[in-house]
Amino acid sequence: MDNLNDLKQLWQTADTGNLPGSAEILRMVKQFRNKKLSKKFRIIGMAFLSAAVMGFAMFFAHPKMLTTYLGTGLLIAACGVMIFTNVRSLKRFYRLDDCSNKEFIEFLEQTRLNQIYFYKKTQVAGLTLSSTGLLLYLYEMVHNNLVTLLLTYGLALVYITILIFVVRPRRFKKEAKKLSDTIDRLQTLSKQIEEI
Amino acid sequence: MEFEEIYLKYSPKIYRVCMGYVNDDEQARDLTQETFISAWQSLSTFKNQSHISTWIFRIATNKCLRALEVAKKMPKTELPVNLPAPHEESQHEKLAILYQCIATLEEIDRIIISLVLEDLPQAEIAAIIGLSNGNTRVRIHRIKEKLAIKLKAHGQFE
Repeated sequence: MDNLNDLKQLWQTADTGNLPGSAEILRMVKQFRNKKLSKKFRIIGMAFLSAAVMGFAMFFAHPKMLTTYLGTGLLIAACGVMIFTNVRSLKRFYRLDDCSNKEFIEFLEQTRLNQIYFYKKTQVAGLTLSSTGLLLYLYEMVHNNLVTLLLTYGLALVYITILIFVVRPRRFKKEAKKLSDTIDRLQTLSKQIEEI
Repeated sequence: MEFEEIYLKYSPKIYRVCMGYVNDDEQARDLTQETFISAWQSLSTFKNQSHISTWIFRIATNKCLRALEVAKKMPKTELPVNLPAPHEESQHEKLAILYQCIATLEEIDRIIISLVLEDLPQAEIAAIIGLSNGNTRVRIHRIKEKLAIKLKAHGQFE
């Protein structure tokens, strides 16, 4: 093709006048950063707040039953698990945009392993702690009245069951599929790069 | 180099490369914005291991290649080759045909030809894509041939 220069000239005629200005892009950058981090910070903040409220409640209300102390302790531990996993994942996806596809695939494979580990271990631990904690915590409040007790525990068990057997696997499946699609796509691209 | 300077200098180039890849104005704008968001986030860690243009083009090409929603919308088939006889197209129409022809290439080829048209040196394209210089040279030659066939089929550049 000896008219590559014509093509280059034509290429340069693309209208780039409507791109946002630098001030606007800076505003977008800050907004994006805040939005992305705010979700994580919100979760961490809520977990801290919940743990603090439960701790204060236990300190000031002086519960009489051991189940309440145990329940509060387990719920605070569950908050701790949530804080730990979210803080650890805060910076996971940074600095990946400048890496090669091979490095990115390796990162995604590691992410997949982490995801499975999280699903099978961390999340199970968190849910066990919080569910057991909730069930123990509620006992002192409702043990005097059989109807309230049955109703409260019935609702709590339905909530926990839905969370464990419906929401949790569905969310995992969705996230795993997205990750798997990305890995497949990158492998296709890697093949294209290797082909000569 | 300040972020603002980088943006002013590279945003039109990045937009054109993204446009060459996606052939869709809105998606190209989104990808350009995402590129600069990433660039801004990692600017402090950029320690001149590569040229700033290599760095920013690598971010942009990675954004394009890794965007699943873009991949789903990509054409899976070739454009029809027996189009009606060409009339005298405007620059705008010619550019649209160029984008259409590029859109029928494989993903990596689309990125490479966009970088070629952006007038980047072969060594830099090789560094951005992660190919050797020799492979890049062969690859560019083949893509140019493929593109020429497609453009000629559309009555362009005969």
